[in-house]
Parts: sequence; structure tokens; C-alpha cells
Amino acid sequence: MAERRDDAPDKAREEFFSEASELVDGFGRHLLALEESVENGHGPDPETLNDIFRGVHTLKGLSGLFGAATLSGLSHELENLLDDLRLGRIPLSTAVLDLLFDAVELYGRILSALKGEEAEPREEVLTLLASLAAVSNERSGNVAFIAEYELDPETLGVLTEYEEHRLRSNLQAGLALYRLKAKFPLATIDSALEELKLRVRPVGEIITYLPTGDGGDLDAIDLEILVASRSAAAELRQAVDSDAVSVDEVKKRDLSQARTPPAPRVGERTDDSAMDLPDGRETPSPPPVEDDEPAHASMHPAPHATEAVVMPAAAGGRDISLRSVSQTVRVDIRKLDRLMNALGELSLVRGALLRYAEKLRSEPGTRRLGMDLLGVHRAFERQLAQMQSGILEVRMVPLGQVFDKLARIVRQVSREQNKSVHFVVTGGETEIDKLIVEELSDPLLHMIRNAIDHGIEPIPERAAAGKPDTGTVALNAYQQGNHVVIEVEDDGRGIDPHAVLHKAVTMGLVSMEEAKSFSLEEAVSLVFMQGFSTRDTATAMSGRGIGMDIVKTRIAKLGGLVDIVSEVQIGTKITLTLPVTLAIVGVLTFVVEATVYCMPLSSMEEAVVFDSALVREVDGREVMTHRGVTLPVVRLARLFSEPPAPQRATKQFLIVARVGTRRLGMVVDRLIEQQDVVIKALGRTLAHVRGFAGATDLGDQRVALILDVPSLIEECLTAAEGRRANDASLAFRFGERS
Amino acid sequence: MSALIHDGERSDHLVFLLAGELYAVALESIHEIVKVGPITRVPRARADILGVMGVRGRLVTVLDLRRSIQVQDAPIDARSRVLLLQVEEEDVGFLVEEVREVERFTPSQIEPASVLGGIERPYLRGVARRGPEMLVLIDLLPILPGREGSAPNVGGQGLSFSGPGAP
Repeated sequence: MAERRDDAPDKAREEFFSEASELVDGFGRHLLALEESVENGHGPDPETLNDIFRGVHTLKGLSGLFGAATLSGLSHELENLLDDLRLGRIPLSTAVLDLLFDAVELYGRILSALKGEEAEPREEVLTLLASLAAVSNERSGNVAFIAEYELDPETLGVLTEYEEHRLRSNLQAGLALYRLKAKFPLATIDSALEELKLRVRPVGEIITYLPTGDGGDLDAIDLEILVASRSAAAELRQAVDSDAVSVDEVKKRDLSQARTPPAPRVGERTDDSAMDLPDGRETPSPPPVEDDEPAHASMHPAPHATEAVVMPAAAGGRDISLRSVSQTVRVDIRKLDRLMNALGELSLVRGALLRYAEKLRSEPGTRRLGMDLLGVHRAFERQLAQMQSGILEVRMVPLGQVFDKLARIVRQVSREQNKSVHFVVTGGETEIDKLIVEELSDPLLHMIRNAIDHGIEPIPERAAAGKPDTGTVALNAYQQGNHVVIEVEDDGRGIDPHAVLHKAVTMGLVSMEEAKSFSLEEAVSLVFMQGFSTRDTATAMSGRGIGMDIVKTRIAKLGGLVDIVSEVQIGTKITLTLPVTLAIVGVLTFVVEATVYCMPLSSMEEAVVFDSALVREVDGREVMTHRGVTLPVVRLARLFSEPPAPQRATKQFLIVARVGTRRLGMVVDRLIEQQDVVIKALGRTLAHVRGFAGATDLGDQRVALILDVPSLIEECLTAAEGRRANDASLAFRFGERS
Repeated sequence: MSALIHDGERSDHLVFLLAGELYAVALESIHEIVKVGPITRVPRARADILGVMGVRGRLVTVLDLRRSIQVQDAPIDARSRVLLLQVEEEDVGFLVEEVREVERFTPSQIEPASVLGGIERPYLRGVARRGPEMLVLIDLLPILPGREGSAPNVGGQGLSFSGPGAP
């Protein structure tokens, strides 16, 4: 087919975008960590700087491959700046951090531009490039310090510029320098080194490790490891906890003593150690990427020349990324859907198998065979269930993916507004369906923005209220059964229910009498009403509201709930309750006339026998008293204009559906059973139809529709409210989707 | 395969029957032809949408082509078939009365839709002559709702629906 032809480049393009945005996200995340460590007075964490450098470096290569000139140009300049930073040539100031944050934003925009979503931010890129260049010119010189220590010049000679910088800054910071000597068997050198690194990391920083080639043992390799640490030698020894590793402090040189002249055996050692290295396959050291600086290394043709240090170093960066790539696979979620479909087919096969087995078992002659087949069926069923949960697991991603982006927003918005905000994130590891994550970023963004915009007060106002200057916005997530709960909480000024009510009445969203019947909590949830906006009165009414109806609609679309609790002067907390996955839902199957439908269990409270005698008609709308509360009732047969079944049911049932605080009773003819079903989306051809979240194969080749409870409740309850308010606008709302 | 479809200027068409008349669509637009399985009605959908049907684990929205282009209705029988199309990741099926054969038309055989006169319909592509027979060439895509330049005038419950409780 014609459209298939473009598949390959499309795929490459998609992969480029997905990898590039992952890198940019990582960049942003690392920057935040960097900023935090700088703010806490620890100075930039070298590993984080390295990660950023590597990311930008990869991005440069990637955009070069893809021919994205702006992207690769920007990456190139950034790479230079980052290199200066990690080598300590320039200090990491707030101004530089800001530039880096700007770069993250620009990366995002350039990527959107490449996708054709917006115009390329040419001007901004040029401005940033100019600022980057200006910063790079401020490089400061460094005082040589290292010479004061008793280190072999040949050791010093092979240090990369970066290692030298780390050594220097550690010594400047007054840390002690230790030399660790270890002998590792060649076969296990990787794991042994890894373990050593893990042990050393809590107490110190490994500057470098060099094979010394002293041992002359063919199966083992001698390493000299330089470690900078605040701890005493004994502590370091304890941390290393190995007889195979000796720990000695490198003392300051007695300056009166003459310098050791360069050793004459440089040449031999080069060869030995180069051979000793396990030919660079698995590099023992993951030192920073150095491939842009080969000149520097070749200027020191000391011990284990280029192959031994620089090549593994250069390969080191790549090695790491290669390894991580080989362990993760990026999968298009549609492929998973296809697998899920195939699995659905398999469960149809399972159903047939079960029927035959039962049939065989019921006949005396084939009873044994039937039993055996049932056994096979059970094994099959178990494996199917495992496959299903396996596929579901693949769809799961940690919420941290979205949360990281939000941290950037918080930074940006609080700067814009000159507010001081502390953003606390917990539960980022909570996993949720990939599709839900994608849909979550907009609503969460609205919520966080609102929390800072309207929740957190300006500093003087906070001071006057006796609150700390820095406001707190907390984002928390956790799993609760089959749901994931996400809370956004701020310690701002809260929402005044009276102001909300007043506004809602002025805007004509609720009548005066209705307003009187609202409890204070209900009044606060009016901010979710469509059309409720505080745009013109945001400050006057101390509220939030822009986009809150969007939040509610989006979350409801995902089968989730939104709750809001707020106290004036104390703060506001919005809670989202979401299903863990969209692919599989627990449903109750039921019959209306002759048609089977599914009701998601997450949206229903209970199902009871329907007593039509309890129904009253109020204002053209059926209601009944259920458990002491008024419950609006809708007869699904009528709502769906269901063709009558040949046989009328004598008894009917009432399913009580609930979304948030709103409930609706649905009258149906027969309840069948609870089961887990695979949801399939209705196509665009059916986009004009409201009330159905999707469809599923029930296993007998028949497809059953799954009710979209939030939209049905919305439709049934607002339709009634709307009739009173404005018939015309309602008709428009029903029409606009067709 | 593409050589078969576009042999010079000629193009392959699938010929089928609707209310006793012969119709044809470009063969390359059809993904598959399947028998009619159980179709689940979708309440409040446009009147020409019969409902949804499962085809090997995929969900297909099935339209009754007779209702879509407003020719006479007929019951589904053993000869009825569903023409499957894949449109923007969605599987859509069109119910037809009977699939006949594949026919190759040269441009000289095809006359523009304007010869039919009457109201211009976006799905009408033209008329092809085959001996004494006349075949109506149609495009299926413009018939689908919610797409650019579509919206044939089909009345549906979904469109005139005015809220629950309302009869």
C-alpha cells in the first residue's frame, strides 16, 4: 500500500524524537539536581555535570545524524560550556545555570519546531548562543597545586584534563589523597572494580585508576587507584573491606626534596600495560567522555599511552550508553496493543477449548479425555494470565517522567512571579499506564501552575499571615489497590467558598437557591464547573480556576476522579484518583433489553434490585430515594432507544454509578457477572457518539460496549440542569461533537 | 502488486451490488473482504452506522453503505459482505449486498460524476460503462463522519438527541 512506503523514515524520525526528548528531559532533571546541590552549598556534583555533558554530546551526534542543524549547533556550544564547567575552567554561577535552563526550554521548542508544531525560535537560539560564547570567554586560570603531592610524574602525565581538574579541586578543598593498590584476576576485573567503586563512593571520589603492570602475573592485573576523601585512612580501609586492596595516604611532598626525575622505563610499561588491559571491550573505567580532546592525551605519551587511557575513556562514554541501550527497548505502545489484541484472540481459543473439554467430560465414553483436556486448559489459562500481566507491566512507566518536567515548570513560574516556592516530590516511582502518563502532563501542569499562580501568596502577604517566605507545593503519588492517587498540595491562601459561590451565581452557573443548598465543600468544587473562570478576578477572589474544568474533563476521560479540599489561609489539596491501567478494566456485565453492556467497576457503587414504586418524577426527571439520599435515575433502555427484547424481564436492577460526588442510578434488565476485560477504543468514526468508553470482546465473538460513566453522568445531570438554564447552548453542545 | 493496480492509466476496481445496482470502488482502498459477523449496535450513532464488530481481535466500525448513500435498505443475508478499510489507524467496514468481481477500467471507460446531474455528492467519482452495464464509481472515505469534506446528509438519532428523559 502506498502509505506503507514511508514507514522506515517515519520510524527513524519517531525514534529520533523520542530519544531526543528523553535526553532533553534528562538534561532538565540533572540541572535541577545540580541547582539543588549548588543551593545547598555543596558545589556542582561532578557526576551530574558529566551526565549532562554526555547527554548533550549524544544529542549533538543524534541531531547531526538527523540533519537538525540548529539543534546540533546549540548542542555544540553547550558542550563547550559544559566541558569548561566540568573541567573547572569556569565556575557554575546562577547566571550560567539560568543559561542552561534556557537551553532546556529551547531544546523543547526546537524539537517541536522540527515536528512542525511551531516556528523555529531562531532569535532566541541566537541570543542564547551569544550568551554561551560570552560565558566561555570568562574562563579562569588555575593554580597548580598537585605538584605538592608525592605523585609520580608519570602518573600525573596520564591524567586526563578532567581527572587533573578533579584532583586539583579535591585537594584545594582540603581532602586527603589516598593511593589504593589492588590486584584483580583478569576474568573478574569488571565486577571486582564495580564492587570497589561502590564501596569507595560513600567515603570518597575515585580520581583515576591505572594499571601498573608491576605484578608480572598473566592472569591478574595490578591497579593503582587514586581516591580523594575526607575520611581517615582507617575509615577508607574499612569501607574497602578487602585484603586484596591496600590503602595508603599520598603525603604532601617535602618541598626541600628534589623532584623525582621522569622514569626511564616509560616505553616498556606502555607496552605491558596496554597488553594487560582486557582489550578495551569492557572498559574497567567509565571516565568522562574525552573524545574531543585527543590532542591533550597525545601530549603525554607516558605509561599506557593512548590505547590504555584515552581510547577506553573515549569508548567509556559510548560504552555506557551502549550498555544501557541494550538493556532497554523502546516500544511503540501500538505494538503492545496489537499483542494485547492477539492475547484477546487467544482467550477466545481458550474459551472454545473449555467448551470442548466440558463436552467431552460430560459424555461417559470420553470422560477421561475430557478431564485431561481440562488440565491442559488450566495450564493454558495460567500462562495466558501471566502473559497478560507481562504485557501490562511493559506498559507501566514511573510517574517520575512527568514529575520531572513539572519541577522545571515550578522553577519557571515561581521566577516569573517572584515567589519563593519549595517543590517537594514524593512517589515518583509509582507506576502507571504509559497512555495515562501522556494524558496527565497537561492537567498536572494546570494544577501546579494554579497552585503557584493563585495559591502561593507573594512574600509580603505570606509574612503578614505569619507563614514562612518560601511556599511549599507538594506533589505526592502512591498506589492504592487498582488505582494510583496523585495529590497536589500547597500551603497558599486557599479557596474561599463564599467567593466561589458568589462568582458562580454572578456568572449564572448556579441559581441563588441552589447556591444556598451547597455545603462549603461543594462550593469549592464549583471551580471545576465548565465555564467557571477567575480570569478577571483571580486576585480579587483569591481563587484558582483557569483550566480547572479542563483538568476535570481530562481526568474523567481517563476514568479518574478529581477531589478538592481547601481551607482559607491554610492551603489547597487536589487529589486525582486514576486507574493503574487503561488496557484492562474490571467490569460488571449486564443486559438492557437484549443487548449486553459493561459497566466499569471503578465507576459504580453497587447494584441492587430496582423498585419502580420508589421513583418520583420531579421537574421532568426521574429521581428516587436510595439509602436516604435523592438519586437521579435514568432508564438505559430509553436512553439508548434499545429495541425491545422478545421477552420482557419481570425484575429490573439498579446500578448506582458514581463519579466524584455525583451519582446516577441506571435501570437495567439483568446482571450477568463481574469480569476483567481488554478495552478497545472506539474509532474516530464513532467520535460523535457520547456515553461509551470503548468496547470489548466478551469471548463469544460478540462485542459489548463499555459505558463511559463520567460522560453519561455529565450528560444526564447537566442535561437536566441545562434545560432549565439554557436550551440552546445545550443543543449546541450535543451537536458540536458530530 | 502495485503494477497490477496501476497498469498504465488503468486501475482495478472492486465491483459490488447495492439495491440491485452495480457499484465499484478502487481496489487499493480495500484492505480485506470479510463475512458479516454479529454486529453490536451503538446507540445514538449516525443512522448509517450499524455498530461494531470483532474481526480477529480488532474492533471494526461497520457502516451500512446502502444507508450511507441512501439507496433502498435490504436484509443481511449469506451473500452480504463487509469491505474492510484501514483509515488512520481505525478499522472501518462497509456492508454491501454482494461482492461481484475485480474489473479494470481504462480512463476512456469512465465519465465524470456530473453526467448524473442532481446534487453533487462528495463520494461520487464517476460512472463507468461496461458493455450495456453502467457502474457507479464511489469513494468510501468521504462517507465517514468526522472527516474533512465528508458529512453526507444522513439523519441519525445521535444528531437529534436532546438529552435524557426527553422522548
